[in-house]
Amino acid sequence: MTAATASGLPAILGPIRPRARGRESKLLALVAITILVGSVSLELAPRVADPGESTGLSLANPLHVAIYLGLIGLAHLVLILSGRRMDQVLLPATAMLGGISLLLMERLPQTLVAQDVGPWKLGLGDVQLAWLVLSFSLATALAVTVRNDRWLRLYKYTWAAAGVALLVATYFLGDEINGQRLSLSLGPLSGQPAELLKVILVVFLAGYLSEYRPLLVEESTKVGPISLPPLPFLAPMVAMWAIALGLVVVQRDLGAALLFFTVFLFLLYAATGRPGYVIVGVILFLAGSFVMYNLVGTVQTRVDIWLDPFKSPTGDGYQIVQSLYAFGRGGLLGTGLGAGLPTVGGNLPIPAVHTDFPLAALGEELGLVGVLGILGLFLVVVERGLRIAASAADEFRALLAAGLALVIGTQALIIAAGNLKLIPLTGITLPFVSYGGSSLLVNGIIVGLLLALSDRGVEPPPPPKPRSRLARLTGRVTRLETPASARAPLPPGGGTR
Amino acid sequence: MDPFLITVWVVRLLFLALLYLFLFRIAKALVGDLRAAAREPGAELGRLIVVASPGGEPVEGTSLALDAIATIGRDVNNAIVVEDQFASAEHAILTFRGRAWYVEDLGSTNGTFVNGSPVQGVSPLGFGDVIQVGQVRLRLERPRSDRSRR
Repeated sequence: MTAATASGLPAILGPIRPRARGRESKLLALVAITILVGSVSLELAPRVADPGESTGLSLANPLHVAIYLGLIGLAHLVLILSGRRMDQVLLPATAMLGGISLLLMERLPQTLVAQDVGPWKLGLGDVQLAWLVLSFSLATALAVTVRNDRWLRLYKYTWAAAGVALLVATYFLGDEINGQRLSLSLGPLSGQPAELLKVILVVFLAGYLSEYRPLLVEESTKVGPISLPPLPFLAPMVAMWAIALGLVVVQRDLGAALLFFTVFLFLLYAATGRPGYVIVGVILFLAGSFVMYNLVGTVQTRVDIWLDPFKSPTGDGYQIVQSLYAFGRGGLLGTGLGAGLPTVGGNLPIPAVHTDFPLAALGEELGLVGVLGILGLFLVVVERGLRIAASAADEFRALLAAGLALVIGTQALIIAAGNLKLIPLTGITLPFVSYGGSSLLVNGIIVGLLLALSDRGVEPPPPPKPRSRLARLTGRVTRLETPASARAPLPPGGGTR
Repeated sequence: MDPFLITVWVVRLLFLALLYLFLFRIAKALVGDLRAAAREPGAELGRLIVVASPGGEPVEGTSLALDAIATIGRDVNNAIVVEDQFASAEHAILTFRGRAWYVEDLGSTNGTFVNGSPVQGVSPLGFGDVIQVGQVRLRLERPRSDRSRR
């Protein structure tokens, strides 16, 4: 530790000792070829209807594709130079998702998002490219610089407090869009705090559960046939449940509530291996859902649309009906990139296609085969996260890695199932694919942390604090009057056989 | 059929084929990882990392794989032998029961400490916790399930 503080900056970045990343290089080459072919396919689409004179092959938007692929190559180079032993599959898998997102955003009407920055008029594709660049830069920067997890591990209650403060600030100061207060503006910047909140939630839960895991596993309060966690530890569970319900009631943010609670149950199960906790959680969830259905209008509307969208195909059920039609038109192999999504009176059939329904657009243009491939990419991200967790040195890192990967997986699952009318639609983003700055940046943070966590053995976890609080709760370990004495050398002559 | 249309469909199908080739390559890599992990002898339940050892035995920084029962002490019959004048012959025992590790002091003269607090009876142990036996400090870490190249 003293050596690290003494050498200053090099301690953060380390000496440059490149380490080859062969698997990542090969996979990234494949990503580049795929995105280039996709871009050619995109460019060909409008010429099918109107052949014109040229029949050669060219890229749809060479500059954008070049910037994106160049950036991914640069990220790869930085990871090689960092010399850390990091996961080699995570970057290619997310780069593929980002590339598909770029192709999709190039292809949608650019007027969906119009921003003027100085002399430039930026459309959907330009803005999405900018966010993708920032997101992957952030991921690379975190992967290279995060050399210990002390700042996450030791301040879990501070992080939790920051998260709650963020929620409260959004409620009081947020901008209201469509009756939901989800975004917070700070000067010229605006973002959706719920996106950042999911990372904070995972950090807090990983810290909390790793600290109390031995007790959560061992002790229980029997209530009939099921065993509950020891009562003092039920409190955070109930608090999580209350926060999820609060999100629904106060912010009408069904997607975030569902995501938070699901990730919480996943992590609780991962930490304890006890199905009883999950069953209790699901019962709480069902009870809460029932109450919410009867109390909150938004929930009722969403569920009613889900049960029968064709009751008002041009009204409430419009988006989901159009989404189902889009999947239907796509069939097995799809219409080809750029050849789907006929306009209705000059507008897209699905208004929120770039944020909430990217999977419907991809389902139409790439078909069932393409959608399954994209879901496969999310599966790969989750698998890598769980593998990083399985090989982590201690519980905090294991739960953190598992939680971060499950956030991405669960979010993809919730919105994909919503688009396909398998569950009621909740407006959250498809990670790495949807348009949106907050979402992309936070996903970049997640990938960066996962990469950093996959490098095992850089720095050991810090010495844990004495278990005084834990001891008070259980009475198993009596508290020492001067806990420091245990660390100090023992008096001479004390040794014996 | 129009050759241009054929080109268009070839490009479209090529995109999907490449997406699946990519997934296939990843799947191959993942299966390779899993095989490598499965080839490793005997699943460990945890490791002890030697944080501090003034006596020199065990050597500081070494990492010891643990079986379900591991005794610690000065006697050579212990699973983990510590050369320390403040350690007893049979000092402490680590056991893995069900889903978690436990530590128990075997009536040693100077006691066993977990994160600075003395152990009384059988006490649960989390990964990352530091056990002190005499002047030797050992940190419990999760087993290394994945040692394949990454």
